[in-house]
Amino acid sequence: MPILKIQDVTKVYEGKVTNRAINQLSFEVMRGEFLAVMGPSGSGKTTLLNLISTIDKPTSGEIIVNDIMPSKLNKHELALFRRRELGFVFQDFNLLPMLTVEENIVLPLTLDGKPVSLMEERIATLAEKLDLQSFLDKKPNEISGGQAQRTAIARALIHEPTLILADEPTGNLDSHNSREVLELLSSINKEKKATIVMVTHDPIAASYCNRVLFIKDGEFFNEIYRDDRRQTFFQRILNVLSLLGGGNVGDLSSIRLP
Amino acid sequence: MFHPDIENGFLGNVSIVGMIIAEIILVLFSWFFIFYSVKAFLEARSKEFAILLHLGMEKKQLSKLIFLETLLIGTVSIVAGILFGYAFSRFFFMIVREILMLEELPLYLSWEPFVLTITVYLSAFILISLFSVRFTPEKNLIDLFKGYSEINGTSGYSIRRAIIGLVCIATGYTLALLTSRMTMYSFGVAIIILITIGTYLFFSDTTHFILEKIKSNKHLYWKKYRMLSVAEQSMILKSNSKMFFVVTMVTALAFLCVGLLATLSSYTSQYDKMNPLGLIYKGHTDNPYEYEHITSIMRELEHKGLSYHMASFEVKKQTSSFTQYEVEVFSESDINSLLFSYGYPFVRLDPGEGMFIPYSEESIQKLSNLTVETTLIENDVDITVNKVYPKLIFPSSIISLNSIIISDEDFERLIVPYKAAPNVEPGYHLFTFDIPQWFETTDVGLAISSRVSHEYLKDHYSLPYYFENAGLNYSFILSTYSLFTLVGLLVAAVFLLAAGSFIYFKLYTSLELEKKKFEVLKRMGLTDIELKKIVNAYLVPQFFIPLGVALLHSLFAFVALQNLLKHLANISIVKELILAFVFLVIIEVIYFYLIRWRYITHVRD
Repeated sequence: MPILKIQDVTKVYEGKVTNRAINQLSFEVMRGEFLAVMGPSGSGKTTLLNLISTIDKPTSGEIIVNDIMPSKLNKHELALFRRRELGFVFQDFNLLPMLTVEENIVLPLTLDGKPVSLMEERIATLAEKLDLQSFLDKKPNEISGGQAQRTAIARALIHEPTLILADEPTGNLDSHNSREVLELLSSINKEKKATIVMVTHDPIAASYCNRVLFIKDGEFFNEIYRDDRRQTFFQRILNVLSLLGGGNVGDLSSIRLP
Repeated sequence: MFHPDIENGFLGNVSIVGMIIAEIILVLFSWFFIFYSVKAFLEARSKEFAILLHLGMEKKQLSKLIFLETLLIGTVSIVAGILFGYAFSRFFFMIVREILMLEELPLYLSWEPFVLTITVYLSAFILISLFSVRFTPEKNLIDLFKGYSEINGTSGYSIRRAIIGLVCIATGYTLALLTSRMTMYSFGVAIIILITIGTYLFFSDTTHFILEKIKSNKHLYWKKYRMLSVAEQSMILKSNSKMFFVVTMVTALAFLCVGLLATLSSYTSQYDKMNPLGLIYKGHTDNPYEYEHITSIMRELEHKGLSYHMASFEVKKQTSSFTQYEVEVFSESDINSLLFSYGYPFVRLDPGEGMFIPYSEESIQKLSNLTVETTLIENDVDITVNKVYPKLIFPSSIISLNSIIISDEDFERLIVPYKAAPNVEPGYHLFTFDIPQWFETTDVGLAISSRVSHEYLKDHYSLPYYFENAGLNYSFILSTYSLFTLVGLLVAAVFLLAAGSFIYFKLYTSLELEKKKFEVLKRMGLTDIELKKIVNAYLVPQFFIPLGVALLHSLFAFVALQNLLKHLANISIVKELILAFVFLVIIEVIYFYLIRWRYITHVRD
């Protein structure tokens, strides 16, 4: 059952120079799927994510999340939709500096006016699962990058959203923390059957997913499914990337070998 | 101030000194203000400077850049300010003239104010631009790039200091309530010190203490957007407690300024009631100048074409058996002659009856319930005093607190003079001039009143007569008062706007961080209504906690003042004060909405 449907979506930025960021893009994401969207710089990855997260509206085409059409909602309903159906993980964590880790995590629930007992229960399970107990009372500027990203993931999970959107979640992390975060995401995907859409530059990160979707200049380019071994999947991703870059792999910023 | 007419002193030295003090306060404060604003804007531009330094600009060149920029802005604003100021000075003089009831004040152009303004503010700008560069702490480029947005996670409050703060304020308030005339100076100093310390600790510790208490209760704390705003407030208070302290004290000062003015205005407005008589001449029974003075005053009044009604009194002092002290006795017909000109009801007394003369509005109430049976000891006349005249007849400075009216029959029986007679005057003659246009008597009897006021400054008042000219006094009070009003309102306005602007600057410097925060929240799903609520919860405490504390401070200050005034002049300042405070609060609310509007538009996009 598809949880996210992208149907012929086009996004045009009007301005002095008209820029077609996304062109006639269509794909579906099934419930419980872990999808990576890859593509070179300027291919429209972030625009796509903004469209899905209803921050931006498509010029034409339709996006359907869990049978809801965000384009039919008004501003107030949109805010509530984002609050209840979507969870976000950002590249630079975007934790609020004045709140402690614990408070950052429960923030979506407090905004929704949920009872304290529910919040405490959820945070207890999440803290155990994501191993957050040791720094729950610290402020974001007192913890490491990996800890911060784990906190951000916990914040994205606490309201049990239908869809989790991740924008370069490993972009600011070293290889050790990256692996930790990615394993965490894939285990959440498996155990909780959470649907995750991740935008990334990094083929290693992409290799943790079930499926990788490649876009180029806002258009669909290719997609590959994962096989049993991550190593070979990674190799296949690299192959598509070199194809994508027209033989010039250097277009992709950093390729780290595990 | 440099106007020759003002300088040549028709207002008296007091007003000139007042103006100079106000001017110094304004200059000092505007210096501080410029310094603060320049610093805030430089901080907001730290990213730009970082790029310049990154491109290889020397620190010296950067200093030069900032110096030149500040100087340029300074020069332009000084020129604009002077032009505006000059354009409005004509208008300003017109207002001054209206208020002070002066003759035409010719527009006067002198070079002194211009030179003064230019030197004061240009030097301020030069010094500040030099200092602000010199004293910016050496920061790494990387920190500059990130801006000044880092948050210090140190929570440095102690419960002991929090409690001391509260205790200081409470003690200050109690002292203010207990202040009397005797303890005015010692208490005054103590109150100022206590309140200052208390306010500082209140913002540096007590508020944190309260917020921490809220935070420890999750049912209170984890409720909707409250968590966000409480956490924000505690962060803001942590890093800006000094600023809040300054803002509070400045606002309190502004309130005090306006409140004092209100007090003065109530004094002038009640002056009329307290001084029902135009001119009063009081002399000893054997005053040799009596005839000469009275005729000269009458001649002057006739010369000016003012209608008047003169009443003369013979007042005798006697000893009351009831109190064993002296009592001043007026006769029924003397009083009736004055009451006739007032248009008040007459007094009818039978022999043996007496009536109190009230010395203040309140004393009417107090005396009406009093019945005194007394004997005027010298002449053995029994009097029962059981009434009070329901209106003020004489200003309180003229008669003693113990004055009664008795019937003419009894008055004639008072032959034996007051028992302390040779040492103390056994009575006096009183001449009152009831003049409907009493405020036009300014220059009547000038020679007499100048001799009286001259004598007043000596230790011992030895003249056999006393003269009071309500019109002249009134014109003095009015001109000093209106000058104070003008200067005070100016100072208060500057203070209030400055207090608001401090907060605005702070908001401006942290705007980038705030924008980012709202970006995150919007993505997380924040409705427009919630956004406004969060902004409110963010701004309201910053604006109104200092305002509220300042209001409370000045409230207690005025309770103390009212206590003092009750002893001194018997006037009530409640109505004027409430009016003035409401006015100030309304100004602040308008200012708040202005800034809130700017802030929301900034944050929304």
